[in-house]
Amino acid sequence: MNDLAKVRNIGISAHIDSGKTTLTERILFYTDRIHAIHDVKGKDGVGAKMDSMELEKERGITIQSAATSCTWRNHTVNIIDTPGHVDFTIEVERALRVLDGAVLVLCSVGGVQSQSITVDRQMTRYKVPRVAFINKCDRTGANPERVTAQLRKKLNHNAVMMQIPIGLEADLEGVVDLVTMKALYFDGANGEIVRVEEVPVSLRGQAENKREEMLDAVSMFSEELMEAILEGTPTEEMIREAVRRGTLSLELTPVFLGSAYKNKAVQPLLDAVTDYLPGPLDIENTALDLAQDEKEIRLPCGVDDPLVCLAFKLEDGRYGQLTYIRTYQGTLKKGDTIINSRNGRKVKVGRLVRMHADEMEDIEVSPAGDIVALFGVDCASGDTFTAPGVSFSMTSMHVPNPVISLAVQPKDHKAQDNMGKALNRFSKEDPTFKTHVDAETGETIISGMGELHLEVYLERMRREYGAEVEAGAPQVAYRETITRKAEFNYTHKKQTGGAGQFGRVAGYMEPLEDGDYEFVSKITGGSIPTEYIPSLDKGFRKCLKKGSLASFPLTGVRLVVDDGASHSVDSSDNAFQAAAKGAFREAYAKSAPVLLEPVMKVVVEGPSEFQGAIMGGLSQRRGIISGTYEEGTYTVIEAEVPLAEMFGYSTVLRSATQGKAEFTMEFASYRTLPKSLTDEVIKGADEKRKTSAA
Amino acid sequence: MLKKDLILKNPLRALEPETGPNAAPSRMGLVIARRGVGKTAMLVQFALDSLLRGNRVLHVSIGQKLEKTKAWYEDLFEDLSRSYRLDHAGQVHDEIARNRLIMTFKATAFSGPKLEERLNDLLYQDIFRPECMVIDGYDFESATRPQVQDLLDLTQAMSLHTWFSAVRHREDPRTSELGVPVPCDKFEDLFDTILLLDPEEKGIALRTLKDEFSDAAGKRKLILDPATFLVSTLDHQSPDKTNESGRQ
Repeated sequence: MNDLAKVRNIGISAHIDSGKTTLTERILFYTDRIHAIHDVKGKDGVGAKMDSMELEKERGITIQSAATSCTWRNHTVNIIDTPGHVDFTIEVERALRVLDGAVLVLCSVGGVQSQSITVDRQMTRYKVPRVAFINKCDRTGANPERVTAQLRKKLNHNAVMMQIPIGLEADLEGVVDLVTMKALYFDGANGEIVRVEEVPVSLRGQAENKREEMLDAVSMFSEELMEAILEGTPTEEMIREAVRRGTLSLELTPVFLGSAYKNKAVQPLLDAVTDYLPGPLDIENTALDLAQDEKEIRLPCGVDDPLVCLAFKLEDGRYGQLTYIRTYQGTLKKGDTIINSRNGRKVKVGRLVRMHADEMEDIEVSPAGDIVALFGVDCASGDTFTAPGVSFSMTSMHVPNPVISLAVQPKDHKAQDNMGKALNRFSKEDPTFKTHVDAETGETIISGMGELHLEVYLERMRREYGAEVEAGAPQVAYRETITRKAEFNYTHKKQTGGAGQFGRVAGYMEPLEDGDYEFVSKITGGSIPTEYIPSLDKGFRKCLKKGSLASFPLTGVRLVVDDGASHSVDSSDNAFQAAAKGAFREAYAKSAPVLLEPVMKVVVEGPSEFQGAIMGGLSQRRGIISGTYEEGTYTVIEAEVPLAEMFGYSTVLRSATQGKAEFTMEFASYRTLPKSLTDEVIKGADEKRKTSAA
Repeated sequence: MLKKDLILKNPLRALEPETGPNAAPSRMGLVIARRGVGKTAMLVQFALDSLLRGNRVLHVSIGQKLEKTKAWYEDLFEDLSRSYRLDHAGQVHDEIARNRLIMTFKATAFSGPKLEERLNDLLYQDIFRPECMVIDGYDFESATRPQVQDLLDLTQAMSLHTWFSAVRHREDPRTSELGVPVPCDKFEDLFDTILLLDPEEKGIALRTLKDEFSDAAGKRKLILDPATFLVSTLDHQSPDKTNESGRQ
C-alpha cells in the first residue's frame, strides 16, 4: 500500500439498470474477494455483494454506496459503488469527490440515456478521468459501436474503442484486444480463465481497421507513438502510455466492452483500470486553509506530510457506526489523535478497517491516497480530520437546500423511538436530507431533494429501523422575500413595574440579490451602544424564520441600521432584540413581500414523434421550455418547471409517450410565485394555522 | 438605465425601417460573414433586442449545441447590461428567458419541412408563438432556391421577423453587383435586408448591402467591437469599454 502509484480509487457510475452492481460483483469475484457469484435481483436469495441494503436488494438498484477494496495485478483497487438515480446525486457527488478515476458503465442496448448524461456531467465537474465499459453485449439489440458513437455525440467524449466484440447478442464469445491484437475468450464456470488466441480470420479485417482508428486517436497524445506508427513499429507500451496520457487529461475515453452477467471481458477492464486510470499522485488535490481565510492550497499528498483526510460517508451497519474516509495527505494510524476541523473536537482513532463490501480487515495504518473506514467516530458526512496543529479543511462540497418536505407521524410509541434514531442517522449521512419539528403543529417534518428521495428514506425507516410511519402529502418549500426598500423607525418601550425596557432602532430593509441575509450597522456616535448591535442582528435573524405573508422562511433581505436610541437603565439585550423584531414587522409590511417557489431544471428525453406531447405537458405545468435538441430519432427537451407542478409527472409522462420517454430533474432556482397562486398558498397557510391553533 | 431607454439607445435602431420597428409585417434579413467574425453574436443581438421589446423569439441553431447557444445569450446579455448599466438586470434577464426558445438541430438533420413540423407543434398546442425567429447555421452552400423559398414562405406565413446567418468563403472573392458574396448571391432577391460583417482595423464593420425599408444600403453606420462582439455606432464605439475580455 505504500506505493501510491499502485493505488486506484475508482467509482463505478452509470445509468440505473446498466448492470454496474453485477459488474462490481464480478470484479470482486475475479480479484478473489468473494468466492461465489450472485445476481442483483437475488434469484438465489443472497444478492450481489455491493448491495448490502435490504431495500436495494429488493429493488435491484444501488442507493447507498459502499466502499470496497481489492487487489488486481499488484495494484490496490478501492471501489466506490455509486448510486444511479438522480434523486441521490449528493451520494454520487460525494463519491466523485473522493475518487481519482471512474468506470462509466453503459448498456449496449440502452446506450447513453439522460441519467448517464447527468452522471457524466458530474464527473466532468469533478474532473474525474474515466474509461467506459459497454455492458450487456449479450443482450438482443446490443450495439457497442452505436453506444460509442453516442459517447462522442451526446457526451462529447473522444471515445475510442479499445476492443471489438467476437460475436454479439447471444453469440458473444469474447473480445479482440486492439492493443495486443489478440482474441480473448473467457472459459471456466465463471469465465475466470482467460484464453488468449489469434484473432479469428473473419474478424481480422475489422480488427485492423478499428486498430488503425484507435491508433489515429491515441497518437495525438504521444509524439513518440506517432513517429513509431509512421515507421510501422508502435509497441504495446507506447500505445498504453499514450492512452493513459489521453485519459488522465480527460481528452480521451477508452471504451471496453463485454457482459458482466455472462462473465465476459471483465478482466481486461480491470487491466484497463490499472493501466489507464490515475493513481492518487496523478491528481491535484486542494484544501482550504482555515487560518488564512479559507485560502485554497494545494496538498502535496506525501505520506510524511501532516494528516488531512475527509469523512465522505457514514454507515450504520451490523458492525456499528462506520465512517468511510479518504486520506489525502499524511498517514492515519491506529491510536492517533486527530482533529475534526469543523468543530475542533479531538478524536482518537480506535479501530481502522479496510472494507471488502460487508466484510472487513483490521489494519494499522492508512497512508495518503487510501480509502478506509473508522469505527466509533462521531462526525457528519463531509467533515475533515487533520493532524493537530493543521487548520485545513477539504474543499466544501456544494450542498443544495431541500426543496420538498412532508410531515411524518409514527404509528405507535415504538415507531416514535425508532423514527428518531433513523432521522438522526439519515441527516448525518446525507446533508440534503433535513428534519425538524414544526413548532406550531408539533409535526415532524422531513425535507429533501425530490419525491423519490423522501420515499426511499421512508422505506428505509420502516425496513432498517422498524419504524412504521404515516407520511403526509409532499409540501413545496416556498420562501418569502421583499421586492422594495422600506424604512423603519421603531421604539420598544415597556414599563410594567420593575426594570423597564427601552430601545429605538431606525434604518431600512432592502432586497439582497445574492444571499439570504445581510446585517449592516451604520451606527455612529453611539446612538445605540456597541454591545447592543449584536442584539439587533439576533432579533432580525429570529424574524427570518417565519415571514408574515404565509409563515415561510425569508431570503434575500439586507437590513441596515443607521440610527436609534438607548436608555442608561432600561436598555438591554432583550429590549433591543424586541425593538429589532418590531422594526422588522413594521418595514416588512411596506416592502412588498412576495412568495418564491423552487423551480427545477427538467430534462425530458423521448422519441421525436412525442416532442409535441412532451412540450405540451411541460407547458401545462407552468414550464418554460428553454431549448430542444435532436439526437437521432430522439429529442431532448430542457425546461424549467416549478416543483409544485412536478408531482406525479413520471406517470403522466409515461402514459403520454407509451413509456418511451424519461426525465431527470434538479433544483435550478427560486422564482417569484404568480400572484393568483400566491393567494392560494397564503390561504392554505392560514387554514393550516387555524387548524393547528384549534 | 431603464429597459425602455436601452431599447431606444440600442444601435440596432439604425437598421430599422424609418416608420418604426414593426412597420413591416415580416422582415427577411440575412447576415453574412466569414467564420468566427460574429454572425451568431449579431443574430443573438437581434434576438435580444426583440426580446427586450417584449417579443417571443425562436432561435433555431443548426450544428451548434444548446449549451453553447445559451452561453451566447448569457454572455451578450451580461455585456449589454453592463455596458448600458441596465437597472434590474436580473429581473429583465428572467423576463427575456421566458420568451426565448432555442431549438437545435444537427446540420445533417435540419430541413424546412422538419422545422415546419416543429413550429406547428408549438403553435397548435399554444406552447410558444414566436414573433421573431433567428436561424443560425443554415447551409446556403448546398441549399436550392426552392428550399430557401419554402423556408421564407413558412416564416412569412407566420408573420415572423426572421434573421438568417450565412457563411462567406474566405478564399472566394466573387460577389454580386450589390456586393453579396457567393453562395448567397443567388438568393439576394429573396431577402429584404442583407448585412455583411467585414473585419477591418478598428473592428468589424457592419455593411448594409441591401435594405428595402430604409436608405441604409451602402452607408456604414455600425461596427462590432471585436472583443465583445457588441454592436455600436461608428462614432461611439461602446458605452463602457471596461470589458476587454475576448470570446471565441
